Amino acid sequence: MAPSGTAVRLAALSRHNATLMLREPGPVLSRLIMPLVMIVLLRPLYLSALARHGVQAGTVQVVTGMLVMFSLLALSVVGTAILTERTWRTWDRLRATPARSGELLATKALPGFGMLAVQQAEVLLFGVVAFGLRIADPILLAAAVLSWALALLGIGTALGATLRSQSELNMAYDIGGVLLSALGGALVPLSVLPRWAQAAAPVSPGYWAMSALRAAVAGQAGPALRAMAVLVAVAAVTTALGAWRITRGWARSTHL
Amino acid sequence: MSRMQDGGPTAGLVAGGLVKRYGRSAALDGFGLSVSPGEIAGLVGHNGAGKSTFVDTVSGLIRPDAGRVSVAGIDALAHPRQARARLGVCPQETGLYPRLTVGEHLRLFGALAGLRRAALRRAVDRVAEQLCLTDVLGRPAGLLSGGQRKRSQAATALVAETPVLLLDEPTAGADPQTRQALLAVVAERAAAGAAVVYTTHYLPELEELGATLAVARAGRIIARGGQAALLSGLAGTVNVRFDGPVPGQLRRYGQVCGVTGDELRVATSDPPATLARLLAAGAAPVSIDVSRPGLDDLYAALIRDSAPASAALPG
Repeated sequence: MAPSGTAVRLAALSRHNATLMLREPGPVLSRLIMPLVMIVLLRPLYLSALARHGVQAGTVQVVTGMLVMFSLLALSVVGTAILTERTWRTWDRLRATPARSGELLATKALPGFGMLAVQQAEVLLFGVVAFGLRIADPILLAAAVLSWALALLGIGTALGATLRSQSELNMAYDIGGVLLSALGGALVPLSVLPRWAQAAAPVSPGYWAMSALRAAVAGQAGPALRAMAVLVAVAAVTTALGAWRITRGWARSTHL
Repeated sequence: MSRMQDGGPTAGLVAGGLVKRYGRSAALDGFGLSVSPGEIAGLVGHNGAGKSTFVDTVSGLIRPDAGRVSVAGIDALAHPRQARARLGVCPQETGLYPRLTVGEHLRLFGALAGLRRAALRRAVDRVAEQLCLTDVLGRPAGLLSGGQRKRSQAATALVAETPVLLLDEPTAGADPQTRQALLAVVAERAAAGAAVVYTTHYLPELEELGATLAVARAGRIIARGGQAALLSGLAGTVNVRFDGPVPGQLRRYGQVCGVTGDELRVATSDPPATLARLLAAGAAPVSIDVSRPGLDDLYAALIRDSAPASAALPG
């Protein structure tokens, strides 16, 4: 049976967006390599800081912390993929084809989602193989990774669709990425942050990602699922915002 | 060339009463344009006349506040996706992916238009050959010359044989080779039955294409019809230069444009007849320059005073 028009379009758009990402592999490669380097360099520091909780606590902190921080920084890959469609004036060219807006958005997000999933899997695997990270519930952890990737994808889509230039995007990712990572307890354990920062931490999606990942690694289903629910909600809200902004069109934007 | 996807009496493009307002200004203010299958409609007008807004509206990029659009018999406002499947759109601003090759662009837009496998390969090869792109199919768009980029952009709109084409200034800034290649393909598509809207500031192109005319101003069409009908009644000029002052008996011919030293300039709706009368009256010129009214004259006349001109010209 011949594939439907929708299937043909989805295949063409998926191939197209994957090609676009692979033609500029630098940002993706750096986001894949840097967390591994940082884990190796910072692990002794974390082991020392969390010595009274045991070696495993330090390993969990450094692996999940670097995972959250560098996945936040990887948002730039997702957001840039969307923003460049505006700067190249290609988005309206796609909108003028028979493709649905949903098809355009989904296939635009797909390579970014794949990259985020690969990055997180790679970091976790590295923690297991190189430093003996013990994962009590791999399925729960996979669900946590999935929900965090969805939240990241939504945030990246919303930023890419809302911000007006590459410099604004870079600023948002650099400052926002580090800020949300630090506030979420990815850089240093929450317990050593000032009290006001601990109180503000739940504002950061990074906090919920750290909570979901740590709980999943420890096999604590309740806290993990609660944190995952927050991440999925963040994904839903930010994706809706990005989709609304994109489907309204920006052909006559004077900012680019 | 194969038959177009749609045909019949309801095909082509029909748009009427389109209104699009941005705050207090109207980009479209009752814009209406119908183009029959096989017709090339040259859409001309100053920047801001509403040409590109009209193209964006038919393409489904802009939702009008009022009006109706039918593309190959499909109500484009009620069924925008089905209508877009019957449209080939070449926007005014170049939109290509710098790191994708020309071939990848053509395969993408061909696939999005529903072409697959062998049909897609044939369509890509054909349009690449027509627009002199065969040698650069493997070259990234970011490395193309300006003319190649123009042709590549147009090729993405032409790769599928859609029954309606919207070409928004496809030759703006293009070199002669690009211009000729594009005009040839547009003429061929129209001959095969496509309804073509061709916006441009280069009026001689429309003469070359044998296009009907639609003149836009302030968000509406102020004149519409065949070139011959619209040009009839417009003045051409006869310039006659003498070896010395203009003979006195001929000065009465120069009432419209006047006499300056050794040159007599006459504005006339029938330049050959006027010249014949001048020669019969004893003129012995050293040089004669006869110019018939052209699209530039029509355009200038309409834009100078749209209300009387549109009333006087066939619509």
